Amino acid sequence: MPRSDSSTGSSKIARSLRRRVAALLIAGVWLQGACAAAPPQVLVVAQSLDDIVSLDPAEGYELSSMQAFTSLYQRLVQPDPDHPQDIKGGGLASGWQGGPGSLVFELRPDAVFASGHPVRPEDVIWSLSRAVKLNLSPAFILNTLGWTAATVDEHLEKLDERHVRVSWSAPVGPSFALSVLGSTVASIVDERDTEGHARAGDLGNRWLHDHSAGSGPFRIRRYIPHEALVLDANPLSPGDAPQLKTIVIRSVPDAETRELLVRVGDADIARDLGPDQYAALRDRPGLRLRQFPSAAVHYLLFDTANTAVPELANPALWQAARWLIDYQGIAHQLLKDQYQVHQAFLASGFPGALEDTPYRLDIPRARSILHAAGLDHGLSITLDVFNQAPFTEIAQSLQATFAAAGVHLEIHPALTGEVYTRVRTHSVQAVWLYWIPDYFDAHSTASAFALNLNDGTTSIAERAGWKIPELNALTLAAVGERDTVRRLELYRQIQTEVQRNSPFVIALQERSQLVMRDNIRGYRQGLNADMVYYDRVTK
Amino acid sequence: MTSGAATAALRLLGVLLRSALTVGVTLTALLCVTFAIASLSPVDPALKIVGEHASTATYAQVRHRMGLDLPWPRRLESYTAGVLHGDFGVSQSTGAPVAQDLRRVFPATLELATLSMVVSTVLGLALALVSAADPRGLGDALLRVLSLVGNSLPIFWLGLLALYLFYARLQWFGGPGRLDDAYEYTIDMPTGVVLWDAWASGVQGAFASAISHLVLPVLLLVAYAVGNIARVTRAALLAEAGREYVLLARATGAGVWSVMMRHMLPATASIVLTVLALTYTNLLQGAVLVETVFARPGIGRYLTTALFAADIPAILGSTLVIGTCFVLINGVADLSVRILDPRT
Repeated sequence: MPRSDSSTGSSKIARSLRRRVAALLIAGVWLQGACAAAPPQVLVVAQSLDDIVSLDPAEGYELSSMQAFTSLYQRLVQPDPDHPQDIKGGGLASGWQGGPGSLVFELRPDAVFASGHPVRPEDVIWSLSRAVKLNLSPAFILNTLGWTAATVDEHLEKLDERHVRVSWSAPVGPSFALSVLGSTVASIVDERDTEGHARAGDLGNRWLHDHSAGSGPFRIRRYIPHEALVLDANPLSPGDAPQLKTIVIRSVPDAETRELLVRVGDADIARDLGPDQYAALRDRPGLRLRQFPSAAVHYLLFDTANTAVPELANPALWQAARWLIDYQGIAHQLLKDQYQVHQAFLASGFPGALEDTPYRLDIPRARSILHAAGLDHGLSITLDVFNQAPFTEIAQSLQATFAAAGVHLEIHPALTGEVYTRVRTHSVQAVWLYWIPDYFDAHSTASAFALNLNDGTTSIAERAGWKIPELNALTLAAVGERDTVRRLELYRQIQTEVQRNSPFVIALQERSQLVMRDNIRGYRQGLNADMVYYDRVTK
Repeated sequence: MTSGAATAALRLLGVLLRSALTVGVTLTALLCVTFAIASLSPVDPALKIVGEHASTATYAQVRHRMGLDLPWPRRLESYTAGVLHGDFGVSQSTGAPVAQDLRRVFPATLELATLSMVVSTVLGLALALVSAADPRGLGDALLRVLSLVGNSLPIFWLGLLALYLFYARLQWFGGPGRLDDAYEYTIDMPTGVVLWDAWASGVQGAFASAISHLVLPVLLLVAYAVGNIARVTRAALLAEAGREYVLLARATGAGVWSVMMRHMLPATASIVLTVLALTYTNLLQGAVLVETVFARPGIGRYLTTALFAADIPAILGSTLVIGTCFVLINGVADLSVRILDPRT
């Protein structure tokens, strides 16, 4: 076909116009990119939200949902953000009085939900009762008070329009009960708002998956699973209203992408970056690296109930393992100060935490312990770890130091869920895990590491097959102790025993790091997973 | 109706019935295989939901609620009955009905894959024609480079590199997400197709923002797809080049481009359509890495998250949707080939 080269004047004009339109379009697109930045009055947080199962406080029990609950709901009592060990600073109760096995709470006269409904004793009773009756993931926290679906209503009583009595049947003291009532599952929900959306007796559970009905400083505008959680300031918020109108928590699954977002300014805060990323951003203009203590402790567990390797139940192996971990090297060199050396089950910062770190890497000492116990015949153990950073890196370090003492560790990396399933079925020999307390009380962690009542798979001690009648009695005595000083002393005693002789080697405590733009002020974060506070943030 | 038309209609009916049967058998097999794989997963889905610290009673209650305490034939039967009524169950990781989740995420993937497909097709065919017209020329060299880049460089790494250069450094295009934060959660997204929703919203700047955020992910997928389309088309064109009808056309004085466009390209239609169909299905299911790097919603990312969470209803639902797309697109391609080329 002959090529036409007879361009007329009009076709030239048309072509010129087309080029201009194309150029404008491209320029417009470029300009959009160039002008992109987090809008004022909106705080943009980049993190992964893939873990959220539900935003109903009676069900949500994942890191991201627990972080959100503090912004959405209040509990009867909750820690003061600036002084976490003081539970009188926040919460819906202005005061309380203790009796034997019960507490009477006085509600703040100005307490009001985001819907405008005042907070009533009926809301308190309904919320606590519903969490127990729904019996979803975090219900076990309330069960520690002896509450069951059949009995919970007997323990909640309205005294008058501002007073409610909460009692319990479990042998626990009032300080423990206050800690339980300060956990996220005890969040107070607006009964009238939620009941209007209840379906088929679900007590509003389905609706609260992606809506909120609380009295916290924010309320949910929109939740799109795996995409974003958008919170609007609650103008009826307790105290001063939040400084920013909106918080956009964007789900960005890839850490490198989160880093780019905060570098460019499209995000104000980026969470969960890798050690190398934090190191690279540390001195970058316009950014600030913030570090907060975290209650997560990492530990090595030997499953003494695994009969395939009888040596796992030999305390000499436990002792040698304590000298075969390069605590300092892992915390400071390998993980670049994202962790600190910590060798007791209560995280540093928790009331009663033991700060001693008696163990260090000492291969000759470990060799001699193994030799004395007859375990120097080339012991081989499998080590299960989550197949992600930093667990695989930690496992490699353990493999190297254990090998130096003649213990071969065969690393089995697997999905998180798979590792937990294997732990519960006693299919692991050794496993590297971490622990985060369920609520801000020493019993949460002590009952995990030092309580084996049923020889089942609920507590960590049970999963390790560790039989400890004396420690059981001590742990139960501690939770029932009414004298706070004596109670903390009991927890120090239990920690010392676990530190000295147990199938757990507690090694590290996490530090929660995040990167934020340098114009962000007022962000606060505490030790526990739920202690994330956006209400005073300005930009 | 003439006997010729009746025969053609009967033939078409036969093709349609065979296609429907293929779709049915394939989807049933897919359902059974996916269900078996999900059931054999070493991850306990109930434990994944209740968490590590939940009581035994809560764990048992959740297992019962999820039907995990039933024998697997009962679970398969119950699930199949639900699917036949359009109920894919409730996702354990989002707490929402799977059908609702799929309605939200699938349009995003469809949009991204379709745009990438359109650009890849135009570019791929153009490159193939240029390359086939002069097999040792500049166009051919360019095609080799593109194929090499698209097939050898990991798309995840290429995506990060593109983000770093064009978003973070040069700031030419929008970065992660589908819109700038100013628009992302303020405009309604009834269709889930961001270009349409941004345009329909009437909000100034939203449409340009949507385009800006689409440029890089689309180019990434194009880089992956264009090489395959161009190479296969080029090979098909070169195979036709020595045929008698081409020589005859050239002998009558027709130009190279005219012969290629009017004779050779239509002759290779069946091969081109097949490779286009395969590329499109690959883009629909394989955009997961691009969706992850660019923090865009999509069925690939939804499925991957479900896999990590052992979210069986979500895994089954999204696998069925992807499988249906695969079967339908290939079915349409087969049908088109039969219509275009009566010899097949």
